[in-house]
Amino acid sequence: MHTELELTTAPEVPIEAECLSPAKIKGLSQSGIEHLAMMHGNRKVRVGDFFRVTGNGQSSLRLEGDLSRVKYIGAGMKEGEVRVNGSAGMHLGAGMSGGVIRVSGDASDWVGPEMSGGRIEVMGNAGHMVGSAYRGQRVGIMGGEILIHGNVKNELGSAMRRGLIAVGGQAGDFVGVNMRAGTIVVMGGMGIRAGAGMVRGSIISFEPVELLPTFTYSCWLRPTFLRFYLCHLGQSGFEIDDDHMGGRYRRYCGDSVEENRGEILVFDSR
Amino acid sequence: MSETKTPEAAKDEPNIRIVEDATCTFCGCVCDDMELTVDLDANRITKAKNACVLGRAWFLQHGIEDHPQAMIDGREVPLEEAMDEAARILHEAKFPITYGLSDSPCEAQRVAVAINDLVLGNIDTTTSVCHGPSGIAFQGVGESTSTLGEVKNRADLVIYWGGNPAESHPRHFTRYTVTPKGRYIPNGKKDRYVVLIDVRKTPSAPVADQLIRVKPGRDFELLWALRALVRGRDVDPDIEKITGVSREVLDELVERMKNCNFGVLFFGMGLTMTRGRHFNSGALLALATDLNKYTHFVAKPVRGHGNVTGADNVVSWQTGYPFGVNFHRGYPRFNPGEYTTVDLLARGDADAALMIATDPASNFPKRAIEHLKKIPVISLDAKPTYTSRQARVAFMVATYGINTGGTVYRMDDVPITLRPAFDSPFPTDEEVLTGIHTRLKKLRANGRKKAA
Amino acid sequence: MAENGTELRIKGGKVYDPANGIDGEVRDVLVRDGRIVDKVSEKARTFNIPGMVVMPGGIDIHCHIAGPKVNLSRKLQPEDHRLDVHPGTDVTRSGVGGVTPSVPPLAARHVIEEFHDTPVIDKGFYVLLGNNMFLYDLLKQGRKQDFKDAIAWWVTAARAASVKLVNAGSDEFWKGRRNENVTDVNEKIDPFDLTPLHATAAFIEAVDELNMPHPAHIHCNNLGHSGNFQTTLDTMKAAEGHRAHIAHIQFHSYAGELGKRVQTGSEAIIDYINTHENITTDIGMVMFGKATAMTADAPLTWMLRFKDTKWINADTECESGCGVMPFEYQDTNYTHTMQWAIGLELFLLSQDPWRVMFSTDHPNGASFRTYPRLIRLLMDRGFRAEMMKQVNQKAISNCLLPQLDREYSLYEIAIITRAAPARALGLANKGHLGVGADADITIYTDDENRERMFNAPRYVIKAGKPIIEDHEFVDDHIGRFLHTEPEYDSAIEDQIRPFFDDYYSIRFNNYRVDASYLHDHEVIPLRNSGNGRKKKGK
Repeated sequence: MHTELELTTAPEVPIEAECLSPAKIKGLSQSGIEHLAMMHGNRKVRVGDFFRVTGNGQSSLRLEGDLSRVKYIGAGMKEGEVRVNGSAGMHLGAGMSGGVIRVSGDASDWVGPEMSGGRIEVMGNAGHMVGSAYRGQRVGIMGGEILIHGNVKNELGSAMRRGLIAVGGQAGDFVGVNMRAGTIVVMGGMGIRAGAGMVRGSIISFEPVELLPTFTYSCWLRPTFLRFYLCHLGQSGFEIDDDHMGGRYRRYCGDSVEENRGEILVFDSR
Repeated sequence: MSETKTPEAAKDEPNIRIVEDATCTFCGCVCDDMELTVDLDANRITKAKNACVLGRAWFLQHGIEDHPQAMIDGREVPLEEAMDEAARILHEAKFPITYGLSDSPCEAQRVAVAINDLVLGNIDTTTSVCHGPSGIAFQGVGESTSTLGEVKNRADLVIYWGGNPAESHPRHFTRYTVTPKGRYIPNGKKDRYVVLIDVRKTPSAPVADQLIRVKPGRDFELLWALRALVRGRDVDPDIEKITGVSREVLDELVERMKNCNFGVLFFGMGLTMTRGRHFNSGALLALATDLNKYTHFVAKPVRGHGNVTGADNVVSWQTGYPFGVNFHRGYPRFNPGEYTTVDLLARGDADAALMIATDPASNFPKRAIEHLKKIPVISLDAKPTYTSRQARVAFMVATYGINTGGTVYRMDDVPITLRPAFDSPFPTDEEVLTGIHTRLKKLRANGRKKAA
Repeated sequence: MAENGTELRIKGGKVYDPANGIDGEVRDVLVRDGRIVDKVSEKARTFNIPGMVVMPGGIDIHCHIAGPKVNLSRKLQPEDHRLDVHPGTDVTRSGVGGVTPSVPPLAARHVIEEFHDTPVIDKGFYVLLGNNMFLYDLLKQGRKQDFKDAIAWWVTAARAASVKLVNAGSDEFWKGRRNENVTDVNEKIDPFDLTPLHATAAFIEAVDELNMPHPAHIHCNNLGHSGNFQTTLDTMKAAEGHRAHIAHIQFHSYAGELGKRVQTGSEAIIDYINTHENITTDIGMVMFGKATAMTADAPLTWMLRFKDTKWINADTECESGCGVMPFEYQDTNYTHTMQWAIGLELFLLSQDPWRVMFSTDHPNGASFRTYPRLIRLLMDRGFRAEMMKQVNQKAISNCLLPQLDREYSLYEIAIITRAAPARALGLANKGHLGVGADADITIYTDDENRERMFNAPRYVIKAGKPIIEDHEFVDDHIGRFLHTEPEYDSAIEDQIRPFFDDYYSIRFNNYRVDASYLHDHEVIPLRNSGNGRKKKGK
């Protein structure tokens, strides 16, 4: 059983809707859900003003329509499921600690900021700052998984501390900038300056990467841990070929501006 | 307010007035040693002693235009009516934005923030398109900095990165940083070593003892390598191929930086607005901070607009954040990229705009301009602009620093009071904004009464 | 300003008004036109508050709430504000809190501008002169009278309430000698041929002789270092015969060896203060949690910097330095616990609440929002014992705190948070509820849990106007700006002007804060000018 909300009125300006999360709707009646408050620009509105609600509050939530201007979907989620059939706006899954968000279309900037657990899957593309710290924060996501099947823009996983971020397509510049720890896998190539300021953690690229002058080649290897990660990603719908699974990776360590304890693994050959 | 005197020679010409120690607001240098000769009959400044070539043009070309004070849809209306209409637009909007502010005195900036607090709007300054990246970088790493006088008194190593002050801030070298003699720099330029780091040889190069040319778009790599070397770490032997600068030059520069007595890194938009943006500024600020382990080292962005620094300060003390501030929820929130004007216009987020002393219709990206054309715009400017011509409500205001007083902040956060030269028939932007603010308060109170 | 004719009768509360010797007596407080009066008409609005506690409005003698440093700190910490938001209401503007004034004169205009946007409270600032190059030149040349005149000129030009010295002499070490710091108050400051102690003593003497309402406000050298209590004692001894205020003395009361663990030096410090009437002090207490190191003592923040913590250094030409850095006091940490304990020890050993005042050096020791908890720690032995169990035990076993069982009374709290700072600042009409005083009144619901009690005042009346009623903001108020105007021979300007031409980057004529910035302000009278208040209108 799930609760279905269909966006029937297109918003004139962006909507902020932290209430679109299982924790907020579970146990509510249909009209209770319709009366939940959202922000439409600077005006307080009700869910019912924009969405057609079907069913009462379940721990599984299905959102229909173009929600690319609806911000904070699934914010603060601890359990349950949110499925977006369409696109989602900024701050998707902000601060979530458990549960699953699936988006069939694209996501915007700031996917999973301040996340500590759970999983976000985006079938399409996502914007800047996926799995990143907000401005001024020294530490980004503390755990969980963010899986983007399409492309992402700049600053993927900035300052992340723990968790897994995977991108099926391309990533922009500054992948894993200021990373503290955790794992980032990018399958379709990445922009420049990956790992700038990284302290620890692993960045894996299937494609060749232009590295900063503060990263140095250390060795090649066939990392066992990566097989486990890639198996897991394969089960999550990514296409992983055998070359990448068992292949040889060149290991670069850096950033020497920091403690030189991070690594970038670049696929080399079978 | 302004100190005026009639010199002996001008006694027969009672309509000549001399304003001493006036301030030029043309650029972020905010030089406060202008001596203006004003012809009060002609409403013109005829001489601007001490001004640079840009400042002279700013003062001497300023006249009073024959132009309505206020227009709605291009039609002249009384000021009051225009303020009514502006207030109505802002009151009814669901996502009103305010942008500009960098060429207004702080007194007007304060009212602009108050308006946004009241209408639950979104306020942003031109910082977001010039040194906004430096602001973001600052939040990440902090900053070691100083006032310009400290540079004059103490700096024996002066480095410019990605800026061309000879053309953009002509007196930066001569008044503050290179040529002046200071307390511990008795011989001026002779006692300093000046390095210019840029992608090309600019007209600023002759001032420098050394020009280091970096490959375009490789500033971050160069800064990052310098940081590693300062910390005694190694860098890629191919560094010259990557950045265009040889290891020898880098090593020499690192030694020079570590061994100076007081070093300063100035940086411009060549650094902040190229690929990498806030990371470029962040790398530079971090480099300056790292160097404090060895000696005294500071960094300073070379700011463009006359009072962009004031805007940063005012918005910060009223909201806690320097630019890109949103009030939709009744309290200030900050998120560059989300609440910065170019980005939110390009996404089509705003439904009304208050543009203060800025011309986005001429210099924003196309998508942002297109959205701007779709929404009601209120503009305040001292001259007609693309934005004011397209605006629903356009106010012509007096020019700050020439016709009105107030406070501006120099690029190094030093506040300076303006001394206006002659009167203007146009209202000040503070007056217009205060008029709008008062009306908004009434509209809000009426709204509450209706609700009750 | 209070509207004319507004009358209030505050009826039946227990009044604590130490300046007038009133200790919890049940009596009415009457208000008209923003002042305390002895009679009001029948029409007066009555607040019936039996059982509640009435005190004069609080006075904070040392709190960084505005100015360039505070603003840098705001810009530095967006991640801090996000967690603490305050929506606007019909009467208040919105804002953000979190952990957020002394001011170099070059930035005086900034602080006054910012004060205009700081609601409700009256406020003034101390001007930083303790590293002023021109003044050091005069000292070096032995020109005592010029030195005094120049100090008075600077206070007047900046519109300050008094003079503050911060780590006197350190600027040359920090800016001129590659980030060094003063380590010994008897060390020569190159190129001035002076020692920090000479300079400090000269300032203390000059400010006192200028009859400024508040004496030199001193942040001693060697802040935060083990063994620094000796420096503090030396500084106080140098003040002998003159009034001096030693700021946030907790940070300057450390025994132990330099570079080694901090030990408590509270006894030696407070014994000296107890026996020397010329000294006033505020404690600068530490409370665990987030704070921000924010000081003109830039070398100090560099010393405190851990790994790559974001850090601001901002040099002001010819005048001062500045450092800002986020900081957190942890109850598991030996040093932090020691600092917390020393602050309490100093209070509990103090014999004269009129000279030992309350502060956290906000936001350095803690945010001002921790005041209620700190007050409870002073008033409630049991609470103190409870808290001592939860902190670093090594520190507790090394300090005096467990042996001290004194509890502050409400009367004493009213002294250290109201009456004493008002007196020390020379504010004759503040900090008490006698006839003629400004009607700044705070009313609390009496509660054995003093933290809960002081956390949320039931009523706040400012200049005769109710601002908070039943814990809620009901009105706004624009406070007054307080400053002083010591006398000087204007010939000194001819000495200062050329120095500006040579070494400053702004013109002499543009330096002084002109009257257009003052709006509603009040000149605090000099000590020799009797009790009369010189007041200027809007």
